[in-house]
Amino acid sequence: MGHADIGTRDLQKGSAEMIVLALLEGRARHGYELAKLIESQSESKLQFHVASLYPLLYRLERKLLVEGRWVEKAGERRRRFYRLTPAGRRALASHRRTWREFVTVLNTLTGFSHA
Amino acid sequence: MHNWRAYVCRHLPPLAVGPERENAIVAELALQLEQAYSDSLAAGAPEAEAVARAHNQFGDWAAPAREINAAERPSEPRAERTGGVLSGAARDVRYTARFLVRNPAFAAIAVATLAFGIGGNTAIFTMVDAVALRSLPYPQPGHLVAIETRKAQQPELEPWTSALDFFDIREQASTFSSVAAISPIWSKVLSGRGEAERLETLYVSADLFSMLGVNAELGRIFLPKEDNRTQASNAVVLSHSLWLRRFGADPNILGASLNLDNAAYTVIGVLPANFRYAGEPVAGTSSEIDAWLPLSANPIVSSIRGLRFLKVAGRMKPGVSLQQSQDEIGRIGTRLAEQFPDSNRGFVYEVQSLTAQVTGRFRVAMLLLLGTVGFVLLMACANVANLLLARASARQREISIRAALGASRLRLLRQLLTEGLVLAAAGAVAGLGVAYIGLRLLVQTAPATLVRPAEVSLDGRALLFTSAAALACALFAGLPPAWRVVRADIESALRGSGRVMLAGHHRLRSALVVLQVAVALVLLVGAGLLIRSFQRLLDIDPGFRPRNLITISTQMPSSAQTPEQRTALLRTMREELAAIPGVQSVGAVSRLPLLGSNLCAWLFVEGKYVPGEPGYDVEYRVASPNYFATMGIPLRAGRLFDEHDDANPSAGILINETAARKLWPGEDPVGKRVKLGTPPERFPWITVIGVVGDVRHAGLDTDPRPEVYRPYALNPLSSPILVIRTAMDPGPLIDVMSAKVRSVAAGVPVYNVFAMQALVDRSTAQRRFVMLLMTGFATAALLLAGVGIYGTVSQAVVQRTQEIGLRMALGASPGAALRLVFRQGILLTGVGIAAGSLAALGLTRLMRQMLVEVRPLDPVSFLAAAIALGAFAALACYVPALRATRVDPLVALRQDC
Repeated sequence: MGHADIGTRDLQKGSAEMIVLALLEGRARHGYELAKLIESQSESKLQFHVASLYPLLYRLERKLLVEGRWVEKAGERRRRFYRLTPAGRRALASHRRTWREFVTVLNTLTGFSHA
Repeated sequence: MHNWRAYVCRHLPPLAVGPERENAIVAELALQLEQAYSDSLAAGAPEAEAVARAHNQFGDWAAPAREINAAERPSEPRAERTGGVLSGAARDVRYTARFLVRNPAFAAIAVATLAFGIGGNTAIFTMVDAVALRSLPYPQPGHLVAIETRKAQQPELEPWTSALDFFDIREQASTFSSVAAISPIWSKVLSGRGEAERLETLYVSADLFSMLGVNAELGRIFLPKEDNRTQASNAVVLSHSLWLRRFGADPNILGASLNLDNAAYTVIGVLPANFRYAGEPVAGTSSEIDAWLPLSANPIVSSIRGLRFLKVAGRMKPGVSLQQSQDEIGRIGTRLAEQFPDSNRGFVYEVQSLTAQVTGRFRVAMLLLLGTVGFVLLMACANVANLLLARASARQREISIRAALGASRLRLLRQLLTEGLVLAAAGAVAGLGVAYIGLRLLVQTAPATLVRPAEVSLDGRALLFTSAAALACALFAGLPPAWRVVRADIESALRGSGRVMLAGHHRLRSALVVLQVAVALVLLVGAGLLIRSFQRLLDIDPGFRPRNLITISTQMPSSAQTPEQRTALLRTMREELAAIPGVQSVGAVSRLPLLGSNLCAWLFVEGKYVPGEPGYDVEYRVASPNYFATMGIPLRAGRLFDEHDDANPSAGILINETAARKLWPGEDPVGKRVKLGTPPERFPWITVIGVVGDVRHAGLDTDPRPEVYRPYALNPLSSPILVIRTAMDPGPLIDVMSAKVRSVAAGVPVYNVFAMQALVDRSTAQRRFVMLLMTGFATAALLLAGVGIYGTVSQAVVQRTQEIGLRMALGASPGAALRLVFRQGILLTGVGIAAGSLAALGLTRLMRQMLVEVRPLDPVSFLAAAIALGAFAALACYVPALRATRVDPLVALRQDC
């Protein structure tokens, strides 16, 4: 229920947008798939509650960073797929830059990568 | 099989989004649950656990709903966030414009309705403004007043002031910076320069022009020396139009000599093109004054104090109030009555603003029209408000959602008012076109005495009025739906069909329809009263037979100076005219009925008059022997004049029936003796030789006054008015007649050639005009009310389709459905008629002055208006009622309202 294995909610909240954008970078995905991916790729350390995922997707959609579209594939249920928009790509790049700088500063100050 | 969608629907609180979006979100969340459930099953979890995992996906549904609502909230544009009100307003306007473009039928009906209302109002306002509202075109018009002498016993008589009274008032009044006198319109013949032409002239005291702040465009205006009572001046000031028409705008006209009525005048100046004296005696006539003469040149300026023939106007000194000048003039009047009891006792001296004098005679009619057209605008607004309400019903969910998304009520109110404003602005633009066309029609159809085309045009004031009208429309049409929507329970509208709101809309729409019916009834009653009044007017016997009767005004030439010469010349004219085939008889008179001019005399009855007491005020006319037969005025007693009546001053007189009744009630007046003129000691006794029928000289709606006729031979007129009766339509004979009159002697002018029927028609023209306009607007009101009833009843039928279907499924006949719908429409109409009748009871009193022989509470007018409105309402209900009878119970019951 809304818990994360990494106990840094704020960090997670700030990064959530970047994570979703990054997962959509390669190809379009639907909500359930995104939730599953986050769970599996973070080895369940980063569990995204769907209660937060969908509002996040809707917010990204309203900000025109992602675009949702109902797609019906042969033999599958009709699902809503989200894909990155050009603005979303730019936002992702900007997020990455910010994080890279943040991590670099963190490294310099704490040397935690060597820890 | 689990219905995950239903599960989500049950648990997810209502979202503040549109229905489509909500559906999509519910579907997506349901998919999430379904997938989680299927995956759990696939992973070997038992059914119960799989269901529990799916349920756990959301847990507390309120939080995600809040988050989704927050995520879906549109981000406000920057300008609005920072308080850019105008930018928000621009978006509202764009939004409305988009809506109107997408709904052309709605837009066309709303804009056309408003254009009709606003355009009609602007046109009428422009006319009323020119006729009755605009201030006089002189500097500081508020300081200009009319000074009037009225007979205390007969205040309805036209007020005129004597020259001697005028001189005394001018000398004694200290609250005025100037006081000026104006004579009646004097017809003069201009001869000696090309063809003789009749001019309309005024004798005025020298300071009239300077008092009005008018200077000459060429030359000069009168100087004080030209006001010298003991030495007549021969100066003349020309109007711009005469200078242009007759003298080709010759700049060397100054100093030229003009022959007017065989007297020589010297041109000293030309007035500016835009100058027109607005006060009496010009007010209320279509006369254009061609030339202005000094009062000192007037032949009767030195006459006795009892001869009242001048209009007096004055300019109050700065800081003096109307009451102060009234008090002073009253004191002067009292003093004059004490000084000159013979001539002045029984007269009161009054002051009123010159504007009131100018506009007084039209004011009631004009304000009536303005009020009428204002009511029509109110109805047009009510119709548009009704349209907007119908629209608001259709989009209540959208509005509620916007409210739930955080749009403030003020913001929504602004949006809805903007819609009204955009419609009103479009209506105003289209309305200006309507006003332009309407005004042209008005000017073409209005009697010339009422509207002078040169003074009526759409201008800044009209534009201002239109804008104000549009703003009022925007508020009136936009506010009811806005109020309704903003007050509505947003939560309930979001949840379901919003029946609460629809019911509210319907109540408001019903109220608007009741208002429309009530207003329409008031206008129909008003129009009915005017129509009935006009009918009565046309039924009034003018006292003569106007059919096949021609009148020609003429003037005796300078060669005919003595009474004998004039009598002989008139006889020649009569003989020449009578010789024309088709002419039956010819007569002559000094003042023609319905031409507006009049002359009064004092009459003293033998045996009844007390020396020192004023006599009876009677109208005085001179007539040739066969005038009465020609006009068709019947002889009631005694005999008419004959060819033996001569210039003997004691020769008999004829009186009319009103004089007979008033002077000798219950007695035979023939053979009785009277004196004419004051003081009576100086005049001989005259015997009444006959009584003739009453003639409505002043107008069909004015009761005849006591009147005396004297024979032509006694007072051969210098400007007789000929009347000619023909056996057939006199139209083709007019030119022959005019030529005959001219051929009698050199320099004889012919003017005012009319068919008498045209004079009768002209006397009723203003009433006819107001009646037609009022009838037109009342008809428009009837149509608007019909449209309003139709719209409201139609919508009610749509809303009650299910109920009607149910009733019919339960065995109700189509007739019952018809009655159901009719009952509602007729109920609204009934309430409207009742409310309108109450309003009309109060409002028609204001029309009293406009009515002839019809009471303001005339039951026929009220009943006719109610029946017309009821019948029209029934027609407006019939179409939706018919639709109700065709409701298919199955379709209706399946429908989700």
